[in-house]
Amino acid sequence: MNYPNELKYTKSHEWIKEENGIAIVGISDYAQDALGDVVFVNLPAVDDEVTAGQAFGDVESVKAVSDLISPVSGVVSEINEELLDAPEKLNKDPYGAWIIKVKDVSGKEELLDAAAYKEFCAQEAK
Amino acid sequence: MSELKRTCLYQTHLDAGATMVDFGGWDMPVQYPSGIVSEHLYTRHNCSLFDVSHMGRLIVEGPERVKFLQHVLTSNVMALKLNQAQYCIIPNENGGAIDDAYLYLFEEDNFFLVVNAANTDKDLAYLQEKIKSFNCTIRNVSDEWASIAVQGPKSKEMLTTLAGGVQVTEPMRNALNSIKLEGHFARIAKTGYTGEPLGYEVFIHTEDAKWLWNRLIELGAKPAGLGARDTLRLEAGLPLYGHEFGVDASGKEIPIFAVPVGKVAVSFTPQKGDYIGRAALEKQSAALKRIREEDFSDLTDLPRRLVPIALKDRGVMRAGMPIYKGDKHIGWLTSGTMVPYYLCEGQGITSRYSDETAKRAIGLAYVDSDIKTDDIVEVDIRGKRLHAVIVKEHMRVDSPPFARPIIYKLEEDEVANIDNNRKKMALDLIKLAQENHQWRQKKCINLIPSENTASKAVQLLCSSDPSFRYAEHKKSLSFNNEDIFYYQGTKFIDQVEQMLVEQMRQYLGCTEVETRVISGQMANTAVFSALMDWKNRYNRRVDAQRLGYIMHNHILKGGHLSAQPMGALHDYAAIDPVTEKRAVVAFPVCVDNPYKIDVEETKKLIDEYKPEFIIFGKSMVLHKEPVAAIRKFVDEQKLQTTIMYDMAHVLGLVGDYFQKPFAEGADIVTGSTHKTFFGPQRGVIGVNYKKDELKYGLWETIERRAFPGSVSNHHLGTQLGMLMAAYEMNTFKDAYQKAVIENAKYFAKCLKEAGLDVAGDPAISYTETHQVIVHVGYAQGPEVAERLEANNIIVNYQATPEEEGFTASGALRMGVSEMTRFGFGKDAFAKLAGLIADCVLNNRKVADEVEKLRSQYTEMQYCFSDAEMKEALDGFAKVIGL
Repeated sequence: MNYPNELKYTKSHEWIKEENGIAIVGISDYAQDALGDVVFVNLPAVDDEVTAGQAFGDVESVKAVSDLISPVSGVVSEINEELLDAPEKLNKDPYGAWIIKVKDVSGKEELLDAAAYKEFCAQEAK
Repeated sequence: MSELKRTCLYQTHLDAGATMVDFGGWDMPVQYPSGIVSEHLYTRHNCSLFDVSHMGRLIVEGPERVKFLQHVLTSNVMALKLNQAQYCIIPNENGGAIDDAYLYLFEEDNFFLVVNAANTDKDLAYLQEKIKSFNCTIRNVSDEWASIAVQGPKSKEMLTTLAGGVQVTEPMRNALNSIKLEGHFARIAKTGYTGEPLGYEVFIHTEDAKWLWNRLIELGAKPAGLGARDTLRLEAGLPLYGHEFGVDASGKEIPIFAVPVGKVAVSFTPQKGDYIGRAALEKQSAALKRIREEDFSDLTDLPRRLVPIALKDRGVMRAGMPIYKGDKHIGWLTSGTMVPYYLCEGQGITSRYSDETAKRAIGLAYVDSDIKTDDIVEVDIRGKRLHAVIVKEHMRVDSPPFARPIIYKLEEDEVANIDNNRKKMALDLIKLAQENHQWRQKKCINLIPSENTASKAVQLLCSSDPSFRYAEHKKSLSFNNEDIFYYQGTKFIDQVEQMLVEQMRQYLGCTEVETRVISGQMANTAVFSALMDWKNRYNRRVDAQRLGYIMHNHILKGGHLSAQPMGALHDYAAIDPVTEKRAVVAFPVCVDNPYKIDVEETKKLIDEYKPEFIIFGKSMVLHKEPVAAIRKFVDEQKLQTTIMYDMAHVLGLVGDYFQKPFAEGADIVTGSTHKTFFGPQRGVIGVNYKKDELKYGLWETIERRAFPGSVSNHHLGTQLGMLMAAYEMNTFKDAYQKAVIENAKYFAKCLKEAGLDVAGDPAISYTETHQVIVHVGYAQGPEVAERLEANNIIVNYQATPEEEGFTASGALRMGVSEMTRFGFGKDAFAKLAGLIADCVLNNRKVADEVEKLRSQYTEMQYCFSDAEMKEALDGFAKVIGL
């Protein structure tokens, strides 16, 4: 399992990277593994508002659907449309396959660094 | 939580890296590291293993086991013969399902019942309570056996390898067998829950389970978990207890008839008596009938039904989601997800899965019974209404070895773009017909055993005036039983028919012949209709009884459609009230030679079924039929059985080199006149009843069922040509028949020596007929036949007795009669065998060599061809302007 150091993580297994005031959000390696084959991603629209700690979309595997929880509050500036046709990219490259970008970031969830998140996942797996 | 139960393969799953989940109290693999999508696809194109040892295995034994099972199951247990299985439901009094199950008859003295894992305790307690009133017992043997489902196109090959080449089961679905797999005893069922046309469930002693699992992995199978098992069964439209059986989202019980496979599992035979749930099920059945007639006035007994549903918008449907039509809530999803599938490339029977895959969101829906196929509905997916369509099916499973996904498409209006230049079309037609004629007659080597080319004399006669004329005639007792003709201008054709009848009497060696039937299939239906009429002749004021039992060659063993219940027997074969199946029994075949009838086993079946009608003859035919031996046995048993030999394929071989059907004891012979015989395409019926016999009445009935029963006008042009063909046959048959049989044997030998896998018994040089069968690899037949056609060699692809049907054809069927008529002898057949082998085995292009070989043999043999005849034919051709 891979936990890149340059990212921050939520306890609901999203990762977040902030660049020039834009928050880039995806799901972690641990999350994609637990979901299994991702077959569909429900994305918000550009300009939708998202709220930290609340669902902004969902990701469906063969077996189940899981909400995507926004780590930040703000406005969606871009969505990764590639995922609509190729949701399996979330399995193959979870840190390359970002899901949304958020601008006007105003609030944040509790974020963990890579080491803390790794420890959190290890606990959860037990 | 109480301790989860483990199957004997638990550690094997952990070692393989499986993700385990609680499934009905069992710790089971939901998926392996490759994931559900990959496991699903691997099942569809290769072979997957499923540990289904968690399911409950029960044995019912004791004197009243049948009576007990008839009472507690929905199915007709009497329909099961040894080594057959059936799907069934354990019903409650309301016509709902306590569980769905599979019933197996591996041994005569007990039944093996497999139930759902989570329901095993509940089922067993229920059945143990019910069994108290019956003199039999039920016990749980789940711990003694493991169950491994081996599913997918490669499953048969893998199990056959472990069986050391022995046939795993008969090719039919639900067939069973008990065999050894590399020394380990196994009970094998051709069943499954994936929709795979090729799939088996193997019951093996617990201690051997790990061995079998690992051996199959070595052979290329991959493990698949409950996740893939669920997506596969969903794609196949199969119900899962707890979703499609049991209670719906509102807590109401789902009636058995609401589930498409449910009704198949229900029998209302009187044999079953007043079984549990019968009254409710009969009401459901009546309701279903009304619904299917689109009468939705009373849906009380079946308010909703399960139907396949496909999502049109983007998204995924899940169990429990509500479904609407307009504002009306019409039901719920019972199962749903996104499933992967292979895209196909190519068209028709040679189309195959490509490497490309796609995904589709599909489900099963429990919706109001007035919802129809193609209705557009809306599914509430977490607050969003998405469009979905009710479809007929998600997948077809009837074209082994591959399942075929059915993808919903909106039918687009066909654009009317018809070129109406009919003059041009007429000229094009002439051109194309001419090209086709030249190709088939000059360039191709035709090895279709059901074809021949007629001589020039026959062809000219067929094209002359009578082909535009009409004749009908019938014997009339008022006129001394003479034929009365209903049309003028028919004196010539009347003479022709009388001469043809006389020639065919001589040829067949019988007393009476009917030549008006215009095909072999029609010859058979006329006889079947006559036999039925004869059987019912004393009381025509009630519905006529159909024929049964009938003994015939099964289609998978080479029998022809003209003697199958799905073919010409359709309206004539009775239903056995005990089994509720057709009263038809197939000739058993030899264990070591499935092309040959096993006479001793046949006698046992005759003793058991006392057939009123036996039909010999088939379309994949390498052997003589044992007419004499069966006639002798039937006479010894003092049975009134009518024996018919359908000689469609071998009519031209009647005689010393093959068989003399009437001398051997056949009552009736039918045939088509254009396969090994020299005629145009017609049929013929012969009988050997004499005027003073009671059964001469049957002959007169056959005549009436020919006319007016089957034809009015009987195609006079080809009847005229047929008379010439009969002259030719009666004159040249000795030389022709000898050459055909010798050529077939020699051709088989050459094909074998060239490296091809020739079917049949080497001791008789593989064949006693005009046919040669060559194995080219399971399901490879269509592709190889297509390749040969591109190389100017025309053959049939053919399913062998071990194969499931025409899409799984692994053989080629070839006949030598037409080429023999064009003068092919040993040299030519040796060359041809080499070219075929080169094309089949090495994929070499041989079209030019084939054309060259064909060009040396264009002169028709075994017909009148001296100068006098040639002159007469030239004159005739000139007069009729051809």
